[in-house]
Parts: sequence; C-alpha cells; structure tokens
Amino acid sequence: MKALRVAAVADIHLGEDIRGHYRKKLEGIEHRAEVLLVGGDLTRHGTREEGRVVADELCDLPIPVIAVLGNHDYHSDAEEEITAMLRDAGIIVLDDDAAVVSLDGVRLGVAGGKGFGGGFAGKCASEFGEPETKAFVRHTKEIAERWRHALKDLDADHRVVLSHYSPVKDTLAGEPPEIYPFLGSYLLAEAADAEGADLIVHGHAHLGTEKGMTPGGIRVRNVALPVIEHAYAVYCLDGEGVH
Amino acid sequence: METPQYVAARIQRALAEDERTNELGIRVDVRGDQVFLRGQVSCEERRHGIEDVAREAAPGLTVHNEIRLLEVRAPGEEEHL
Ligand SMILES: [Fe+2]
Ligand SMILES: [Fe+2]
Repeated sequence: MKALRVAAVADIHLGEDIRGHYRKKLEGIEHRAEVLLVGGDLTRHGTREEGRVVADELCDLPIPVIAVLGNHDYHSDAEEEITAMLRDAGIIVLDDDAAVVSLDGVRLGVAGGKGFGGGFAGKCASEFGEPETKAFVRHTKEIAERWRHALKDLDADHRVVLSHYSPVKDTLAGEPPEIYPFLGSYLLAEAADAEGADLIVHGHAHLGTEKGMTPGGIRVRNVALPVIEHAYAVYCLDGEGVH
Repeated sequence: METPQYVAARIQRALAEDERTNELGIRVDVRGDQVFLRGQVSCEERRHGIEDVAREAAPGLTVHNEIRLLEVRAPGEEEHL
C-alpha cells in the first residue's frame, strides 16, 4: 500500500482582519500532502461572517479538506450555519461521525468532531452531583460513544481521529495544569484505543506541545497553529496501517 | 489596593468574554500597579484590541503589551509515523 501524507492544522482563528493571509500559506500543498485536516477553532467569535472567511480560505484546494469545529466556532450559536457554509464550499465537516476519502487508491478514514473536556484518568470530573456537573460530563461521554461507533463502522486502509479537544495530557504540557479538565478528556483516547486508529490530531491547547501518545499507543499530535508555528504539519502514514 | 490576583483574573475574564477579543490564550501577570500581557496573536489589530480591553478592565494600572505576532512559517519537514 502507498504511504499517505496527511497535512494538519488547528486553531487558525480566522476573521476579516486576516482574510487572505492563511490561504497564501496553502499554495503548493498538493505537492506536500494528499489531504488537509483542520482541527477546529476555525474562527475567533464563531460568527457567520467569520465562517464565510473560513469557507473562502479553504475552498477549492487541489486536495480534500476535512474539518471539525472548535469551541470558538460555537460562541455565536451559528455552528450549524458555519457547518453548512463549509460544506457548500466542498469541505467535509465531521460532527461525531466519519468520512472515507480515496486518495490515489488508498482509502483514508477520518472520524471525530469537536470533542470536549472533563480531564484525565484519576483527575477528572464524574457524572455525579449537581445537574450542571452531570451535563458537562455526559456531553463528553456521549461524544466518545459516538466516536466509538463511527470508528467501529469505518472501513479504510488508514484511520485517523480528528478532534478539537485533546485526548491525552502529554500534548497539554506548557498549559497550566489547573485548566487541563477544560482542554480535553481521556474518554476520547479510550474510544480510539478501543477501536484502533493510526493517528489522533487535535488543537485547542495553544500553549501545549506537539507530540504525545494514548495509553494504547496511538500517536497524538497537537497541531494548534501557535504550537506547530508552521502553516500546517505533515504526517506520513507508511504503507502498513497500524490498527 | 485591590489584590493583584483578582485584578489578573478580571482582566483575563474580560479578554475571554469581551466580544472585541474572545481571547483565551493570553497570560496576564500583575505586579503592583504593572500589568503584563503575554501570548501570541495573528495580527497587529488583535494585539491592540487586547491591550484596549485590558486597559479598560484595569483602570489606573500601567499595561505592558508583550504579546507577540504569530509568525506562520512555510510547512517544514514531514514526520514519518
Ligand atoms: Fe483555539
Ligand atoms: Fe479551542
């Protein structure tokens, strides 16, 4: 099987004030990668206007673009319109589901969505007590459950999970430990470990670190723009799928 | 004088919640009557917007804007997994 080059970035936080800048950095991407994954926080305030900028910056690239939204993209309650706008622009937007793209005869399966917080094993919130606490934890549990199903049904040569929130704490190093529960949840990693994946890509932790690994041994990469400091990172999945 | 921790918390909250900024990734340190802002943003306009919101949230204090502009470099080496 042919190796696959996956370009990935998150937290591009686009707006009218930087329109056109990011697009320029994507020139020639088809020579460097077969697909571009965008891990949420596409906008700053989650407005329709910003959604329009994102659609314009990411549309009509020579390679497929697969994206998820981030917490910023929910801020103005326009997440559904932003999603529709991006889809109209030809971008695949995952919302706790999966998609398979055929790239030069190699099938890449990508599953995921925004994800959510809750913290990491031994130091996390539980579904107990006040309704507000339970709702917070339940949101993450339900997301992880949907990812598990999406991965189970995913028939592809390579499998990647695309998230905004982090599945592990390795890639949060650099962030204040007090806010880890708001940066991710181990439930996301657990879902991926249960069903198998070659790579998990996320963003959200602007002060974090690029590289980490799940307890089950899946490579995790934090591709938040301030972390990678490049227009995008490129990961080469070699001929053998890991799962 | 107001406790520095509360001043820092108020500025940080303003930066996150104010519609002009909605910035969650800015570090705010208060030492006496000096406020230090650190972090990275994408353009000069956002850098100034953050300073404005911080000044409004901390009247009478001196705000030092040490926020850097995020430089997005061309893609680098690929990593083989
Ligand atoms: Fe972000
Ligand atoms: Fe985020």
